[in-house]
Amino acid sequence: MQFNEFMTDMILTELEDAVGRENCSMKEIDKMTHGVDYFWLSRMWSDRGLRMPEADYVVSPKDAKETSAVLKIANYYKIPVTTWGGGGGTQGGAIPVAGGIVLDTKRMNKIYDVNTDSMYIECGTGAIYKHIEWAANEKGYATMHYPSSLTCSTVGGFLAHRGIGVVSTKYGKIDDMVLQMEVVLPNGDIIETASAPKHAAGPDLNQIFIGSEGTLGVMTKAQMRIYDQPEERRFRGFLFKDMTGAFKASRELLQKFKPSVMRLYDPAETASLIKKIVGVEKPGAFMNIAIEGCSALVEVEEKILLETFAKYGAEDLGSEYGKKWWEEKITFFYPGHMMDLPQMFGTMDTIAPYDKIEKIYWAMKNAIETNFPMARFIAHFSHWYEWGAMVYDRFIVDNPPADPHEALRLHNAIWTCGVRTAIENGGVVNDHHGVGIKLGRLMKEQYGPAMQVFTGIKKQLDPNGIMNPFKLGL
Amino acid sequence: MLISDKSKKIIDSCRFCWMCRHICPIGNATGQERNNARARALSLQYVERGAAELASCIDNVYECALCGACTKECATGWDPIVFTKEVRREAALEGITPDYITALIDKLGETGNIYGKTDYCDCIKAEAEGLNKDSDTLLYIGSDARYMAPCFAKNAMIALKKAGVDFTILADEIDSGIALDTLVGAMEETKEAMTACADVLNKYKTVIVLDPQDMKVFVREYKEWGIDLKCELKTYTAVLADLLKNGKIEIAKVDGKVTYQDNPLLVREVGETEEGRAVCKAAGEYVEMILSGKDTMFAGNFIMAQWMDDVMKLVAKERMTNIIQSGANAVVCASPADYTFLKEAAPENIAVIDISELVL
Repeated sequence: MQFNEFMTDMILTELEDAVGRENCSMKEIDKMTHGVDYFWLSRMWSDRGLRMPEADYVVSPKDAKETSAVLKIANYYKIPVTTWGGGGGTQGGAIPVAGGIVLDTKRMNKIYDVNTDSMYIECGTGAIYKHIEWAANEKGYATMHYPSSLTCSTVGGFLAHRGIGVVSTKYGKIDDMVLQMEVVLPNGDIIETASAPKHAAGPDLNQIFIGSEGTLGVMTKAQMRIYDQPEERRFRGFLFKDMTGAFKASRELLQKFKPSVMRLYDPAETASLIKKIVGVEKPGAFMNIAIEGCSALVEVEEKILLETFAKYGAEDLGSEYGKKWWEEKITFFYPGHMMDLPQMFGTMDTIAPYDKIEKIYWAMKNAIETNFPMARFIAHFSHWYEWGAMVYDRFIVDNPPADPHEALRLHNAIWTCGVRTAIENGGVVNDHHGVGIKLGRLMKEQYGPAMQVFTGIKKQLDPNGIMNPFKLGL
Repeated sequence: MLISDKSKKIIDSCRFCWMCRHICPIGNATGQERNNARARALSLQYVERGAAELASCIDNVYECALCGACTKECATGWDPIVFTKEVRREAALEGITPDYITALIDKLGETGNIYGKTDYCDCIKAEAEGLNKDSDTLLYIGSDARYMAPCFAKNAMIALKKAGVDFTILADEIDSGIALDTLVGAMEETKEAMTACADVLNKYKTVIVLDPQDMKVFVREYKEWGIDLKCELKTYTAVLADLLKNGKIEIAKVDGKVTYQDNPLLVREVGETEEGRAVCKAAGEYVEMILSGKDTMFAGNFIMAQWMDDVMKLVAKERMTNIIQSGANAVVCASPADYTFLKEAAPENIAVIDISELVL
């Protein structure tokens, strides 16, 4: 529904009443800065001097109560609501493609409790993750969630798309780090999930909202796990002749213990990014491993690591490359080091069990390079489990079409090809960046009739369809 | 928008990068997306590409404290202050400077200070009685302490007297140029103001600079403009540290634990991290708060408070959280703005101490 000027003002005053006048804006500066996230298409669009879809209102509630008031207003007038945390997502999940309200969570940044008995921090979901890391550090603990976007993204943002950090193999994904959450449902009801994350009281409410990308409600408060600082963190770099050996070695290693960092770079990425930033000159597949925790255990684990990897012919490069990698782990993503416009690029991360993951890598590489000869394909494998691993595969087009519509078409064609290949070979549509508007169209291909579970929940919780429309394929 | 290629390059680098979000004191205080380097660069790239008018973004260009936290944080060395100041200048040239900034510039023209004060506090005048007017050492007080925090100036004068330092102050002190540099950046008028101040300072052998923001323009902007300062410049904190080292002053003991508020301009632009801290450490059990040294957080600014007073209060409140979490019972400040804004934000159980008050 299009509102005229009078109704626009009427709704504005209701929103101002809900969150305070200074926290409700229709200014152009607020609209434009909430229109572009880390999604390549939004960046390209704005780089070409085109304005992305923008909200009509930008509101910043301070807590669940104010969030509830906003959602009640939105429901009454049937106005779309798109939740925005840090805007650092790569899938366009936070872009208000249907206009309406952008609900910015960053005022919900309070740290309520650093609970060292039960080892969690309770905070508003608008807290920047780095800030809760500081709060943990001040008490001698750590969050152990260290993605490259640690300093710019919010707790809620990571939860919304199921984020992951570099020490995930030992400490888990963001969805493994939540104890309890407060959520505001689309109708404005404020609910709490169960008081413990492991139980037999029905399906896991946390996991219904985690990864829902703002389509089912707004997470407003969360209890996030904290951990002891490791007594020691040791690094070891290896060079494998090929990736098959690396997969076998890693699978075997993970049956024995869990390192914190495991990163395997394919020969193309070893010869490009790793050579440039870490300094590894030799050909092959570079792998960095970090082991951490109690020193006595680290000592034993390092011995097991060396024995296991030696069995598969890995060349031990010592600790220096690994340390360098750790120091530079975020530098990779700064302007000047990362791919950037005018290049077209994307990360089509997927995950699968060991019996499929290498096949997926080769299938995707072949599909991209065959169908899009203008694209380069590089990959690394950065998150590992006892049963499988994820591939962080990227395409790069150095000279994309000048016409933005053609660039969009090429971008989406490459994505469709790559992700469809992953799904056809047993992978999942995405590992840790989420779905957003970028991959929504592929969700039905992933889930088939299982998609009705998601649509059923969506219809029940959000009958007016106001929450983050056109995202997640819902 | 006529800005340098350097600024354009920085804008194009910052527009999609959020890596410094967590350390922006304004963004942390307001929670507003527009308050970070990325948002500012994004909006200006739209202006650059003809997709937005500068007038729609200019208020946000004035929501930056120029504290340098983002610059310090950037692993690739981009400096958002460069384009922020250039755009302020461009706005002045285009005649779209916001009215609230123009009003301050008018006051500066009329009274010599942006606060519109025509006289300074009697407490400074009283303390100036008996100073050696022929001294070759000048204590440069600066507009902020002179007009907005006179006790900070008075206490510094008392401390120097206790230490037996022969110095004088100026009855009619000229603004260092910090005001125009902040409001409109590198305009010709800014250079003229700085040159006039330099002419006065150069009559002295030594100038002790009380306010870190004035020291910052003396060592950075004057150099950029090629304005020659022949006098020896010393920060007030460096002078105190030297006096302490040479046994010329004693430091009062503070009850409980004490921490130190590093002024961002002093540590990041002047490069001084240890002098004020050394004085503070002599005051008792010292604890370091998070975000100290070159990682420090800005705690308030009188110039910016003229158009964002509420935000300055929020900024100080945020910084006070760090102080409380450090377990300190007192925080020592070396700039009049830090002192004033933190004092306003402090709960009853946290003492905010002007560094001069430590001198027995």
